[in-house]
Amino acid sequence: MKHLRRFLMRFARVFTNSRAEADLEREIAAHLRLLEDEYLSQGMTPEEARRAARRAYGGVEQAKQLHRNERSYQGVTQTIQDIRYTLRQLRKSPGFTVTAILMLALGIGATTAIFSIFVGVLLRPLPFPDPDRLVAVGDILEGSGSAFRDQSRVTAPDIRNYMRDTRSFSNLGGYQGMGFELSGIGDPTAVQATRMSGEVFAALRVAPLVGRAFTQEEDEQHQPVAVLSYGMWRNRFQGDAEILGRKILLDRKPYTVIGVMPQNFEFPLMPGHLNHSELWVPLSLSPEEFMAGSAAAWSLRMIGRLRPGISKEQAHSDAERVAEETMRNYPAFMRSLRIHAVVTPLHEDTVEQARPLVRTLFLAVVVILLIACANLAGLLLVRSIRRRKEIAVRLALGARAATLLRQAIVESLVLSVAGGAVGLALAAVALRVGVSLLPETLPRIREIGLDWPVVGFALGLALLTGLVCGLAPAFAAIRTSVNETLKDSGRTGTSGSGHARLRSALVVTEIAVALVLLTASGLLLRSFERMRSVDIGFRPDHTLAAFYVLPEKQYASQTVIDAFSDELLRDLRQLPGVEAAGITSLLPAAGNDFGLAFTLEGYVPPKGAGLNMAAMSLVQGDPLQALGIRLLRGRLFTEADKAGSPLVAIVNRKLAQHYWPDQDPIGKRLRRGMPETATPWMTVVGEVDDVKLGSPDGETAQQVYQPVTQMVASEGVFASAGELSANYGYIVLRSVLPPEQMENLLRATVRKIDPQLPLHQMQTMEHAISGSEAPRRFNTVLISSFAVVAVLLSVLGIYSIIAFAAALREQEMALRMALGCQRSGVLTLILTSGMKLAAVGCVLGLIGAMAASRLLRSFLFGVSPFDPVVLTLSAVAMLVLALTACALPARRAARTDPMVALRGE
Amino acid sequence: MTSKEQEPLQLLQGTLDLIVLRTLVSMGAQHAYQIATRLQQISDSLLNLNQGTLYPALVRLEQYGWIKGAWGKTENNREAKYYEITKAGQKALGEETQKWRRMAALVERVLIEES
Repeated sequence: MKHLRRFLMRFARVFTNSRAEADLEREIAAHLRLLEDEYLSQGMTPEEARRAARRAYGGVEQAKQLHRNERSYQGVTQTIQDIRYTLRQLRKSPGFTVTAILMLALGIGATTAIFSIFVGVLLRPLPFPDPDRLVAVGDILEGSGSAFRDQSRVTAPDIRNYMRDTRSFSNLGGYQGMGFELSGIGDPTAVQATRMSGEVFAALRVAPLVGRAFTQEEDEQHQPVAVLSYGMWRNRFQGDAEILGRKILLDRKPYTVIGVMPQNFEFPLMPGHLNHSELWVPLSLSPEEFMAGSAAAWSLRMIGRLRPGISKEQAHSDAERVAEETMRNYPAFMRSLRIHAVVTPLHEDTVEQARPLVRTLFLAVVVILLIACANLAGLLLVRSIRRRKEIAVRLALGARAATLLRQAIVESLVLSVAGGAVGLALAAVALRVGVSLLPETLPRIREIGLDWPVVGFALGLALLTGLVCGLAPAFAAIRTSVNETLKDSGRTGTSGSGHARLRSALVVTEIAVALVLLTASGLLLRSFERMRSVDIGFRPDHTLAAFYVLPEKQYASQTVIDAFSDELLRDLRQLPGVEAAGITSLLPAAGNDFGLAFTLEGYVPPKGAGLNMAAMSLVQGDPLQALGIRLLRGRLFTEADKAGSPLVAIVNRKLAQHYWPDQDPIGKRLRRGMPETATPWMTVVGEVDDVKLGSPDGETAQQVYQPVTQMVASEGVFASAGELSANYGYIVLRSVLPPEQMENLLRATVRKIDPQLPLHQMQTMEHAISGSEAPRRFNTVLISSFAVVAVLLSVLGIYSIIAFAAALREQEMALRMALGCQRSGVLTLILTSGMKLAAVGCVLGLIGAMAASRLLRSFLFGVSPFDPVVLTLSAVAMLVLALTACALPARRAARTDPMVALRGE
Repeated sequence: MTSKEQEPLQLLQGTLDLIVLRTLVSMGAQHAYQIATRLQQISDSLLNLNQGTLYPALVRLEQYGWIKGAWGKTENNREAKYYEITKAGQKALGEETQKWRRMAALVERVLIEES
């Protein structure tokens, strides 16, 4: 207790030091006076009394020092004095102070903003209890290429088998994202939902905010219950307190609301801002999903919680055993399929794809910070060289090196902490504005924000920066040789040459790292340009698209569905200005390509080849004409290609060239499934141009088009009984009118046929393309703006160093001119010294850029990381900028009047 | 033997605090000069210390909350800072005295056994 009290007092005294000092002074004076009075009364003369009093008291200064040591923490007191001294010094040179703080604020702010993304997306544990035990379980299908996008998938029978036969999971369940039409509350709208096993809630261990989650039993009994997200409950139901037991219509089927999840609950953890699940319903696998066609559709996913004490490896071998059993029981038509079980930690499964992007951004921003640091170190160094005289005098008067060192470091710490504070504010602003601009490929966006670890990181970064930047000039200061400096009165020529090498090293480093970033940005810009010039295979102008799903309840038979489609197409064609209208199951640039396996006539796959996967578009009406996809050979579909007529297909160029190189694909035949699958042949009647289904920089898929009316027939015996087709699709509309005007016409047309049917994702094709380009645009814009900042900072750095060096050499230059050197000679001299540094920096930078190429390669498109044009241009740009930065001080030096300069000191 | 006894004693750690507290209890509020004079008196000038060395002890005791200083006037109308023992100080003095007695007894016992 007494020690705590004393600690607080001593600490507090640090801040009331001057008052305590005055009090002590007064007390000692009083004491001495009393002693003097005593001696006077003993009959001494005043002079003798004063001396005797002093003697009796002992050393006044020693007593004071003892008192000070006892009273407060001297280290702290001195540091505070240093800080006050620094603040006074900094106030005297506001230009330097503001530059240094802003530079650091920029570096630290940018780094902090990106770091908060880094933490939110990659590092923070998933928002579930005990998240390390959560795993994604599923299959990797051999030969499916990149169709699974590095995430394991499962089929409906897989879910049953894994749930029934594995022993390593305390909870394991399947799920699948889906869209619903929500009605029965306000206007019908499209909502994002997830159907999932009751076990999934148990695995996630998140309790509902209101009500309860559904159980595995309810799932298996096909209970029509729904759990709402917090946002859904708040926005659509106005936070209705009586929500439990309310009936809602999903695809016009009644469901009972049994619970609401808490605000921060999100599952599945989808990338981007959209696509977050707004409600959850039981998975309730239907019998059809276990039959022929669907049994081979890897369209679901699984999540599980590892049983305590079971490792990921044990769980994997357990799952592999079940997968082998599953394969043994495959029906004949799936015999050739090989699957492997995979068990991936959920965290990895969620963030794996975002890792390279976030890591690259982080490195880019660290480069900026490095440059800012180098600049600050350079500025501080220049400052300490300017103060050489002052430092030398202080050293001569007995200042200790440790004191000078401490002051130098305190100065840079004060700057860096101020910079850190401003940077933190910048980062907060940037995040508020920037999160909405993040690309849709980034998961866990909601978790990005400035929290304590991030703030701590920023402050730690500021301290570290201050220490590192302060060290070089600090040691330069204490290495000041008193004699040399005091003797060196300038007439001898160049002063302050001692730290020239350190200054040069700083400039060279800055130029090198800035160049690395500049080349990266150049390569990305070129990739972007390449992407923009890719032939996407269709004409996006004047085209409007919208997605719909017909609810099963109302559209229970093929006749009703076909009636809807026919009426829709007929009405659309009659709209003013419409050139072509159609419906397709796959929309270019929408990024939802879905691979199907095909068998092609006359094609013998090489040994070990995977499945022949192609993207299947089911079409009605004229979507190919509406999208402006070019016909290369043969014909497009006509009204005559309908159910019951001979099966036909159109293929794209890529597929034709891959399977039938140098042959006419017209008249060739292909069918759905693997060779052992007995499906009927379809005859190729046309070949069309390749179309980008995803982003323009993505792979071109092999594509097959088929009239949707022939889908069921082409599935042969594998079509499930009563299977419906054509109950969903993208409406595409080409018109001479601006697509924005068409939107209302399209809505009105659909509403006339079915007033309740919502249209999803209504957009122009130009908009769809720009959406598919967004991730690349994001990378490019961000890295390029970092590069611009880096280049500006390094140019500023080189300018300040060269200007300072030129100022130091003013006398030398004057002497040269007095001895007959031309002004142009002086100009060249200064420029050359700057260009030497820039050239060395560029060479190092180019080497660095090549070393960084491996990191960048995955972000490039159509450009080699060693692209000579980009490398040369960046290096030249850097040199030119450096030259410009040197030109100003060089011209100033050349204009020096030799007489004035020589008289100067 | 006598010459050795005449040498000034070095104060043991903590004893100065104890003496100051004791002085303040028996004499009431005192200023630093009075405390120093009192110290010399009771030690028969054996404790020949500079009066300034008292200051760290005073600031320490004040920070413990055992004594409290306030400015006042002497009878000769000189200003001086008077120190007064607090309640906590009295309690602490009791405890410290106990401790000191036990320590002294222990040392005494050891010395007797040795001789």
